[in-house]
Amino acid sequence: MTFRRKLLVIFALTVFISVATVAIIVSVLARRAFEKADDERTAALVAQFQHEFNRRGEEITARVAAIAASDAATRISYAFSRGDKDYAPFLGDARTIADNQQLDFLEFVDGQGTIISSAQWPAKFGYPDASLPLSQPPQNAFLKKEDLPDGEALGLFSIRRVEAGEGHDEAYVVGGSRLDKQFISGLELPAGMRAMFYENFNRGFSPQSLIDPSGSSQDPQKIASFVQHVLEQKQESTTLIHWTSNPAEDETLHAIPLRGLDNQIAGLLLVGSSRRQYVELRQQIRSATLFAGGAGLLLAILLSGWAAARVTRPVEQLAQAAREVALGNWDTRVNVHSSGEIAELADTFNHMTHELLEQREHLVRVERIAAWKELARRLAHELKNPLFPLQLTVENLVRARQQTPEQFDEIFHESSTTLLAEIANLKAIISRFSEFSRMPQPQFHSLQINDLVRDVVKLVRAQLQGPDRAAIECTMQLADTGEIAGDPELLHRVLSNLVLNAMDAMPQAGRLTLLTHAQENSVSVEVQDTGTGLTPEECARLFTPYYTSKGHGTGLGLAIVQSIVSDHGGTVSVRSGPAQGTTFTVVLPRNLDKLREQRNENQV
Amino acid sequence: MKRTSLLWLAINSLALAGLAVASLMITTVARAATRPHYGGVLRLAIAGPVPSLDPADATNVSGQTAIQRIAPLLFNTLTTLDERGEAQPSLALAWKSDFSSQRWELQLRPGITFSDGTLLTANAVAASLRVANPRWNVSPQGDSVIIQSDAATPELPAELALSSNSIVLREGGKLIGSGPFTAAQWGPGKSLVLSARDDYWAGRPFVDSVEIAIGRSPRDQMLSFELGRLDGVELAAEQASGAVAGGRVVNSAPDELLAIVFSRGVQSPEEGRLRQALGLAIDRNLLNTVVLHSAGEPAGGLLPNWMTGYEFLFPRSPDSQRARQIHEGINQSSAWSLGYDQTDPAARVIAERIVLNAQDAGINIRPNPAASPDAQLVRIRLVSRDAQVALSHLALMLNLATPGSQRASSQMTSSPSTADLYAVENTFLQTQCVIPLLHLRTSVALARNVHGWSEAQDGSWNLPNVWLSPEKP
Repeated sequence: MTFRRKLLVIFALTVFISVATVAIIVSVLARRAFEKADDERTAALVAQFQHEFNRRGEEITARVAAIAASDAATRISYAFSRGDKDYAPFLGDARTIADNQQLDFLEFVDGQGTIISSAQWPAKFGYPDASLPLSQPPQNAFLKKEDLPDGEALGLFSIRRVEAGEGHDEAYVVGGSRLDKQFISGLELPAGMRAMFYENFNRGFSPQSLIDPSGSSQDPQKIASFVQHVLEQKQESTTLIHWTSNPAEDETLHAIPLRGLDNQIAGLLLVGSSRRQYVELRQQIRSATLFAGGAGLLLAILLSGWAAARVTRPVEQLAQAAREVALGNWDTRVNVHSSGEIAELADTFNHMTHELLEQREHLVRVERIAAWKELARRLAHELKNPLFPLQLTVENLVRARQQTPEQFDEIFHESSTTLLAEIANLKAIISRFSEFSRMPQPQFHSLQINDLVRDVVKLVRAQLQGPDRAAIECTMQLADTGEIAGDPELLHRVLSNLVLNAMDAMPQAGRLTLLTHAQENSVSVEVQDTGTGLTPEECARLFTPYYTSKGHGTGLGLAIVQSIVSDHGGTVSVRSGPAQGTTFTVVLPRNLDKLREQRNENQV
Repeated sequence: MKRTSLLWLAINSLALAGLAVASLMITTVARAATRPHYGGVLRLAIAGPVPSLDPADATNVSGQTAIQRIAPLLFNTLTTLDERGEAQPSLALAWKSDFSSQRWELQLRPGITFSDGTLLTANAVAASLRVANPRWNVSPQGDSVIIQSDAATPELPAELALSSNSIVLREGGKLIGSGPFTAAQWGPGKSLVLSARDDYWAGRPFVDSVEIAIGRSPRDQMLSFELGRLDGVELAAEQASGAVAGGRVVNSAPDELLAIVFSRGVQSPEEGRLRQALGLAIDRNLLNTVVLHSAGEPAGGLLPNWMTGYEFLFPRSPDSQRARQIHEGINQSSAWSLGYDQTDPAARVIAERIVLNAQDAGINIRPNPAASPDAQLVRIRLVSRDAQVALSHLALMLNLATPGSQRASSQMTSSPSTADLYAVENTFLQTQCVIPLLHLRTSVALARNVHGWSEAQDGSWNLPNVWLSPEKP
C-alpha cells in the first residue's frame, strides 16, 4: 500500500469514527429524550384516565342516586314491601330506566340482594346477587365484575338505597357503565398513543377480554405473557412489544392494575406508545449519519488526497529520482519547494547523487588510467617481442659491418629478412589494435538467429571432430525465435568468438551446447561448455580489452563481442564456476523498429 | 183550570214529548251502532313472514301462523271444525269412509265458484288436494272426491279442515280461491289488500276490503294501532295482559306450544338424563307469570289440557333437587347452546331464564341465537283443534315420528280415544327431543269500531263477519 493510500485510509477512518461516534451519541440522547417524553405522556394519559374514571364514576353515582330517588324506585320498593314478591310488573323496568339514564347496568335489589329487576340480565329476577356490598354500600363508584348471559363484563358501578320512607323494606339501586370501547374511546389520546383495557376474569389470558378501541392489536397473544406477568406481580410494569418484524410497529406497553372493591385486580389499563416516531427519528439520524459520513468520507478523500499529495509529492519525486539513479542517470536532481524533513531529505538526496556522480567520474578516470596502463603494458609487451629481434638484428648488422665486412652482405640479406618479418609482425600488431578501435557500426537486416547459430556450428563442426584434438560433442536446442534485426556478419563474429572460446576451454573433450530462447521483445542465445570454468575474478575481467586467460590471443575477442552486442542494444553475460563449465548468454533486442527506420532512410 | 195550570201542563207535556223524542232518537242511534254495517276498510297487521299465499307451501314454516290466518280469507277447505273440534261441512256437504278408514268419499257442495267465476269441480278439488298431500291418492268421481291412503286416516275430515288443505285453483302461477275475499293487491312479504266477493257462496263479507300489513313487529303494530292507523294488531304474549289504549284485547285459548326442541336425538343415556334434569329444572310457572305476564299456561305435554284433558298428567312443576340428583355424576362434555328467535324479546328472556334454572341444577347451557344450536326455543301453533290432527302435525313439525308412535297411530281405524292419544303423546315425549314449556294464547288488539270479531277453531280470523261501526276509534 502506498504512503498516499495509507494516509487516505487514516483520514477516512478518522472521519468515519468521528461521525459514527457523534451518531451514536445523538441516537442515545434521542432515545433517552423519547423515553422521557414517553414516560411523561404515559403519566399524563394515566392521570387523564383516572380523571375520566372518577368523572364517569361521579356521573354514574349521580344517575343511580337519581334513580333511587325516583317514583319508579319508590314504587318497586313499596310493592315489595307488601310482600307479594311479584316480579312481573317490574320485569322490563330496569331496562327502560337504564336506557333513559344511559346506563349499561341497572338492577333493583331488595335488602337481601335478591334481584327484583335487572337491565343486563332481565331473566335473573328472584336470584341473589352475592357480589353486592349491601352491608356497607360504598359512596363512590367502584369496579365490579358483572355476570351476563353471554359471559362476563367489567363495569363501573354505584349503589344507592331507595329512599321510600318509613316502614318500607330496604331496596337498592345498583347501576353502572360497562368499561367498553366507548369508555376507552372517550380518552383524549396524544398522537402515537392508544389505550386498551384488559378485563381480568381470572381465567388466564383471553383475547376476548382485551378491549382495544383502535382495533390495531394484530396478535393479542403477543401481550399474553406480559398481562399474566402484571396480574401475578400486581404492580405497574412496562414492556416492549414487537408486533411484527418491522421495528416501526413496535410498541411500548405500560400496564396499570385497577382494583375492585375486594382489592383484587379487576382489570388492567394498558397504555400503548408507538415507537414509530422514535424509529423514524432513529432512521433519520442514521440517514443523516450516513449522509454526513458519506460526505465526510468524500471530503476526507479529497482533503486527504490533496494533503497526501502535498506530503507525498516530494517523496515521490525522491523515489522517481532514485529510480533514475538506479537506471544510471546519476545526475538526477530533486527540486523540492518545501521545508522541513522532506526538504532536508531532498537536499541529502541531491548531495548523494552529486557525490555518486563525482565518485563515478573518479572511478572512470581511475578505470581509464588503469585501461591505459593495461594498454600500455600490453602494447609494450607486444611491441617488445618484435623489437628485441630487431635490436639484435641491427646490432648483428653493425657488428658484421665492423668485424666481418665479407660476410656483411650475407648477414645483411639474412638480417633484412628478419627485420622485414618483425616489422611485419609489428604492423600486424598495430593493425589489430587499429581494427579494435575502428569497430564498424552494425547494418541491420532481417535475420533468424537460429540460422546464424546453424552457420557457425557448420563452420566449426570440422574442427570439433578434428584429429588433432579430443572430440567435442555439439548439440543445438533452438526455439522458434522469430525475426530480429541485426548485422549478420557482426553477430556471426560474436557467435564464432564464443564458440571458439568454448572449444578452447575444452581441450580434453566435452560437450558444446547452443540454445536459443525467444522473449516478446528479445531473443537470447546461450553458449554452454563443460570446460574447466572460470573464477569469479576472471569472470569480472573477462570482457576487459587485452585480458585473456588463455596462453595465446590478444585478449580482444570478448571485448569485441561485448562491443558488437552493445551496438545492437543487447547484453552479454557469463555464468561460470570452477569445474562447472561456462555459459555465455547473449540477449539481443528484436530491433524491428530500427529495421523500419533503416528502410525509411534507404527510401529517402 | 187556571191559566197558569194549563200553561204548566202544556210546558210539562212539551217536555215529556221532547224527552220521548230524544229517547227515541238515542235508541235509534244505539240500534244503528249495534247493527252490522256493510262497507269500510279493515286495516290489520301480522308479524309473521308471508312470502307466498299458497297454503300448501310447506317451506314457509316461520310464517305458518300468518298464512293460517290469511288462507281462509282467500280459500275454503272441504270441512271446518266446530268449537268441539269436530268436522263440519264447508265445500264438502257430506263424507263417508269404508271400514278401514282408508277410503273416503266426499260429496262437494254444488254451485260454488272460484273468485274468477270458474265452477268448483271435483277435478279442481282433486288437483288441489294432490298438491297439498302427495301421499294421498285423490280422484274425482262425479260430484264427489275419493281420497285413499295407505294407512287408516280416521281423522281425515278434521285434517281436511287444515288451511294447508285449502282448495286452490292453480292457473299459470296464479292462486285462485273460493273464499270470501279475493286478493286485489299483493306485495309479497309486505302487504295484502283483499276485496270482498259479492258472490261468495256463504254471503258477502261486511267490510269492502281488508288491508293487511305483513312482517310488522309487535312493537310497530302496537305503535300504529295506538296512532289509529290500524284497526287490529297481533299482540305479543307479554302484551296480552295489559290494557290497550283505544281498544280491546281478544284472547284465544292456549293454542301455541312453547318448547325446547333438541336438534338431534339422544346419543347416550347420560344425555337423556341431562335432558330430563333440564326439564325438571325449569320453573315454567315463573316463565308464564313474570316473563309472559300469564299469557299462557305451564305445559307438561305437547297438547294443552283444554284440548286433551290429560295434559295435567305430565309433570310440569320444577324440581331442582331431583334435577340435581339426576345430573349428579354426569360429566357434561361441553355446554349446550340454546337458540331462540332474536326478534322476540320475550324469547330471549325466557332463554336466559332457562339458562339460570339449568345452572341451578348444574347443567351448563348458554343462550346462543346463532344458527345450529344444540337446542332451540320454538313456538309452534297448533294447526287444529282436533287433538289427533294437532298432535300429528306437531310430531311432523318437531320430527318426533318414532316407530312406536307410527304404529300406535296406524292402528287407529276410528277416531282415537283419549287413552290412545295419551299413549302416543307420551311416546313422543319419551324421545326426549322436546321439552314442553308453555301453552300460549294468541291475542289480538282491536279498535273500538271493530265488531263481530271471532276466531275460527283453527285460530284463523273469521273476517267475513267483522263489520265496522261509523264511530272513530
